Amino acid sequence: MLIASRRRLILIGLLLAIGAALSLLSRSFLTLDNLMTLLQEASQTGIVAIGFTLVLITAGIDMSIGAVIAVTAMVCANFLTYTHIPAALFIPMSLGVGLLVGAFNGFFITRFKLPEFIVTLASRGILAGLALIIAVKDSMGFVSNVYIQDPVYLSFGGTIGPVYIITIVFFAMAFLTQSFLKRTRAGTNVYATGANPTAARLSGINTKRSIYGVYMFSGFCASIAAIFISSRMMTAMPDFGIGSEMDVIASVVIGGTPFTGGVGDIWGTVLGTLFLALIKNGILKLGISPYVQPIAIGGIIVVVVILDVWYKSYAEGQARRSARRARESDSRSAAA
Amino acid sequence: MSEQKEESGLLLECRGINKSYNGPMVLTDVDFSMRHGEIHALVGENGAGKSTLIKIITGVTNRNSGTMRFEGRDIGLEHSRHAAQTLGIAVIYQELSLIPGMTVAQNLFLTKEPRFRMVRLIDIRKMNAMAQEIIDCYGFHLKATDIIDHLSIAQRQTVEILKALNSKASLVIMDEPTSSLTSTETSQLFDIIRKLKEEGIGVLYISHRMEEVYNLSDRVTVLRDGRKVAVLDEAQIDPAEIIRLMIGRRLEESESHHMLSRRDGEKVLEVEHITSERKFTDISFSVHAGEILGIGGLVGSGRTEVLRALYGIDPIDSGSVRFFGKPWTPGVAQSIRTGFGFIPEERRLQGIMGAISITGNIGITNLDTIRKSLFVSDRKELSLARKAIGLMNIKPADPAVPVGNLSGGNQQKVVVGKWLIRDLKVLFVDEPTVGIDIGAKEEMYQTFAQLSAAGVAIILVSSDLPELTRLSHRILVLRKGRVIKEFAEGEVTEEDVLRASSGLVEGGAK
Repeated sequence: MLIASRRRLILIGLLLAIGAALSLLSRSFLTLDNLMTLLQEASQTGIVAIGFTLVLITAGIDMSIGAVIAVTAMVCANFLTYTHIPAALFIPMSLGVGLLVGAFNGFFITRFKLPEFIVTLASRGILAGLALIIAVKDSMGFVSNVYIQDPVYLSFGGTIGPVYIITIVFFAMAFLTQSFLKRTRAGTNVYATGANPTAARLSGINTKRSIYGVYMFSGFCASIAAIFISSRMMTAMPDFGIGSEMDVIASVVIGGTPFTGGVGDIWGTVLGTLFLALIKNGILKLGISPYVQPIAIGGIIVVVVILDVWYKSYAEGQARRSARRARESDSRSAAA
Repeated sequence: MSEQKEESGLLLECRGINKSYNGPMVLTDVDFSMRHGEIHALVGENGAGKSTLIKIITGVTNRNSGTMRFEGRDIGLEHSRHAAQTLGIAVIYQELSLIPGMTVAQNLFLTKEPRFRMVRLIDIRKMNAMAQEIIDCYGFHLKATDIIDHLSIAQRQTVEILKALNSKASLVIMDEPTSSLTSTETSQLFDIIRKLKEEGIGVLYISHRMEEVYNLSDRVTVLRDGRKVAVLDEAQIDPAEIIRLMIGRRLEESESHHMLSRRDGEKVLEVEHITSERKFTDISFSVHAGEILGIGGLVGSGRTEVLRALYGIDPIDSGSVRFFGKPWTPGVAQSIRTGFGFIPEERRLQGIMGAISITGNIGITNLDTIRKSLFVSDRKELSLARKAIGLMNIKPADPAVPVGNLSGGNQQKVVVGKWLIRDLKVLFVDEPTVGIDIGAKEEMYQTFAQLSAAGVAIILVSSDLPELTRLSHRILVLRKGRVIKEFAEGEVTEEDVLRASSGLVEGGAK
């Protein structure tokens, strides 16, 4: 845990340093308005990344999250366009999309022992197509924009004081999920499932249930994000969220959750999403072409992973050396 | 404690256990019993049936017939791992059952974490305190909040033992627990085992190390060829006698002394004082052309590590190696080019690529000879494969078959075959006949004899004593990373080698 906490301090230090540099370089960076927008954008990625972190802890991966956003947004668009059901009623129902997709993923992964990547990539394809099929069309059969006017629905994109509601929800979800991971048996089981599934089963843990759980939660988080995104944009398109996996993966990796399973936590992911949002915001504020963003994100992922691998071998070397010293003094005292 | 328990006397009682996987009997009519609070050693050669007996007791596999009673309760033929756990039978795996990344306390209380009464959240403070209490109660040197990843192998075993104790185990099974421990760690483990005995817990202990069996055990059961040959009480435990019982029926054969013979060919490899930290210390020997140098010793004695270092897989910390008189720094690619071959211990993991054809497997180490400018010549590769198939009599003789589909013996022939088609000078062989049938074994022996006759130097590591004594011209025995004995001239018996391996050099128990 020492390694993890030191890594975290470095990340916080970097966040502050980059923030300070941007405050000096751009006059419009350090304004309440910009910071709140930054947090709002971080929260959009972050809510999805919370679910994704749990999947990674079980040593899985969920490629379907972006497409879940699209389908959830389209389900809401249909309710808004063709029914008079109040938003307070259909929004909870539309969150079921993510739960269903998660259950579907969990079923194929546990029942047929298929690779997580393949199963969720397949769901991604199916859902992306489904989003187009159920999209609201005009009389010519072309996908048409849905302009959202429902006040209840739009309120999700609003603020409380200066803070966006999504930011409050993001931090609340982060806190609750972190408590779940660290303070409940089910959360402990999630770690055990990813760290050593054989040992987990031998200890009487139902690893299948953990796997079902994390994929359903991951889908659920993506559906929640879909409501906030469409509400803020005041529209819903069938390509919403498609491709957002890249940002989510980047955030989680920067936050320090590895792909190998058994390790990771939500506060790391929160820092990762803030870091990513800061970089994106900085590129904008410095007047650099927004097309540079994906290149910067890709570069950051590589650098972070290299540093992680390097640091891990360094820390392991340290541990070995100190263990050897302890052994040597042990045998010296035994000989004496 | 309870009178009834004492009356029934036995903790575990197995009678007439029979087991065959498909065909040959692995266990025949085995009786085995354990008393409460007893340290019981189970000994036997490789393949004597020790592991199978353990698997039956712990419910990993089911017996075909025979009765089993644990604490006076009958265990049906349909035993399971879960049932064994519930009854209180625990096995100490070396690392398998601990969750990395978690603390000692989390591992001890996995799925049984203490929680607050009102909210169902884990009470971490209470859990750590409870764990520390258990640790202190047994006087172990551990902190409840230590992360598993930062512990030594010995400490992890301690956690495993604590886990067993915490789940109220009354029988703890340890399969070669000391094979990866240092001597200090071993003596710490022995203290723990004695403490378990004081608590009235039965410890079933499997070991190849005679002095451990001698020092630790209350009773010893000897298995041979799937049968129980003897149960010795404490007073009867004599390491030399146990070794005689283990080899037993093959006594005449094992005493039929194998003649060792010096080869006076050119020195191919001269190894001088090589050391690799934590693996082996100050190893010196030389191999002559046409000589088969056997290396004996127990698992974990450093045999495989020496081979790997000489072939260039792992680094050597100090010492020097000469190849035909010239200084030589091992490195895999260079080794192959120069005429070294290596037949690794773990065939499936290190020897073959299962999904790839015979041709591909043979071609991969011979790319230098079949490469034509930038590309590999398919025709040459195929002809090499045909040649290897012919030389080793590989069945089926179809170069396109994926190696994973072949029998164990034929897989091993592919591994050997890919070296035969090269200009070989030295061949390192590690446990060449594990899990292969007798026919393939004989063919393998003939191949080694032919190679030796052709002047190839062979270094053979084997735990199969008949194999080692029969094939070798000279035998080194390693123990704890050092050469403890060399059998160079005259006669050698399996018993001699086993005694040296177990640390009973010149007959004296240490």
